[in-house]
Amino acid sequence: MAHAIETHGLTRRFDGRLAVDGLSLAIDAGTVFGFLGPNGAGKTTTVRMLAALIAPTDGDAIVAGHALGVDDTALRRSVGTEQPGLYDRLSARQNLRYFARLYDLDAARVDVQVERYLHLLELWDRRDEPVGTFSKGMRQKLAIARALLHEPTVVFLDEPTAALDPEAARTVREFVKGLRAEGRTIFLTTHNLPEADELCDGIGIFQRRLLRMGSPAELRAGLFGAGTIVRVVGDAARFVPVARSLPFVRTAHAAGDTLTLELDDPDSRNPDLVDALAAAGGRIRYVERLQHSLEDVYLRLVGGHK
Amino acid sequence: MKKALIVLEKEWLELRLQRALLLATMFLPPLLTTIAIAAFVLVGLVPASGSAGRLPLIPELVGLSPRELSQVLAGRQFSVLFLLVPIFIPSVLASYAIVGEKRERTLEPVLATPIRTWELLLGKALAALIPALAITIASATVFVAGVLVFAVSDHVRELVVTPGWVLAVLVDTPLLALIGVALIVVLSSRVNDPRTAQQISAVLVVPVLGLIFGQLAGVVVLGPALALGIGVILAFVAAGALWVATRLFQREVILTRWH
Repeated sequence: MAHAIETHGLTRRFDGRLAVDGLSLAIDAGTVFGFLGPNGAGKTTTVRMLAALIAPTDGDAIVAGHALGVDDTALRRSVGTEQPGLYDRLSARQNLRYFARLYDLDAARVDVQVERYLHLLELWDRRDEPVGTFSKGMRQKLAIARALLHEPTVVFLDEPTAALDPEAARTVREFVKGLRAEGRTIFLTTHNLPEADELCDGIGIFQRRLLRMGSPAELRAGLFGAGTIVRVVGDAARFVPVARSLPFVRTAHAAGDTLTLELDDPDSRNPDLVDALAAAGGRIRYVERLQHSLEDVYLRLVGGHK
Repeated sequence: MKKALIVLEKEWLELRLQRALLLATMFLPPLLTTIAIAAFVLVGLVPASGSAGRLPLIPELVGLSPRELSQVLAGRQFSVLFLLVPIFIPSVLASYAIVGEKRERTLEPVLATPIRTWELLLGKALAALIPALAITIASATVFVAGVLVFAVSDHVRELVVTPGWVLAVLVDTPLLALIGVALIVVLSSRVNDPRTAQQISAVLVVPVLGLIFGQLAGVVVLGPALALGIGVILAFVAAGALWVATRLFQREVILTRWH
């Protein structure tokens, strides 16, 4: 699969302060890539470099087939960046028409595209009202529409559902999935980890430099390994020594009636585990796979680098 | 160039929607013109008391009748005020067009488009300059028409509508307006309130006030040589101000240094 974004040692300094340190990554075309990191980690600087808004101090990148610094105007035509600023006095339609023209859409296509995206993002009924009267959620949807008017192949979205109510957030998530289905590449910066888990094919955890990259499943497996949760009748704490004595169990913790275990190859070892617990007098209610959340992964990585 | 015109069109669309700003800005020149013509007519109707011969006059005014002298003095003082208009209007319009855009955080999405920064700057500058120059020239034309119609003699017409003044309006005012816009761009990198930018840019009126008071005191006569000399100085100042403005008005600088 071709790479929509490829960076090699991308670095940016501001007056000697290192904001982005040697970022190297490759993002497949037609995927959603989640770029996660704490505030001030350098995510915005990275997006600005990839959108050819600011130049890297060092390193290089190819975005949507264009090398950074070669023909940045062509690069900007191939990417869309969702940003918050809108002209409050102008209507939604006037805002979009302005940007459609700046993106070189021909006169006939301007109105077609504006109408298409106002419909898609459910803003058509408010198209002629000043944007200053819009809610935060509507403004966010309008900013997304603006980023897509010129049909970019790579789209940078920044917290696209942050200000949205649950229903509107779901609309936007489905919309993002639709963009991926059309073959576009989405570079998503977000703090909404469940959303990143749901949407992203690949995740990069970033704090000035790339801490880890992979699919959500790979990140979980790489950090936590496999595990099993066993719910027993009564207090689970009495079974912790039993579990720890088993050679294939790496960690065991109890909370109430729940025993949480990390172990090698749960699929083949779970029967031995259940037998050992039963032999120690345990009565088993449930046995289920231990699923670490993306939040666990994020906190372990980011927390470990503070 | 096409994108500069798109920016210009958007600026004017926004300006049309800001009625208060539009009225406040465009109200001054017609008011100034009306007062100037009214004063010119009135001083022509009421003979000045006393003898003109006792005043320390510059040679070209010697021998005028009190009415003529009153009209010439009033006409000349008001005529110089037309040099203030192209400082005032672009400063107001450009401050809203650039500082306002910075405050509303709309510059970054614009800079993310394929527009070149010079096209953006040109569009914004033209959006402020064209109305300013148009209204200055229109007001000055009306003023000239008033002088030609209401002057008590041909001598008055010649002494008020001088080649120096015409040159100043045609050459110096566009340069003053350009300096005003460049100054606003420079200030925009540091301030977040359009009014602050306007107040600071008001420093530009100082040289024009110097010219007005110089004329009042009789030490300065706005002849063609002086108008051209001022034009040359303004051209250098404008070139320097534009150089600084274009250096500050770059994607990288706007995104990383304009706070």
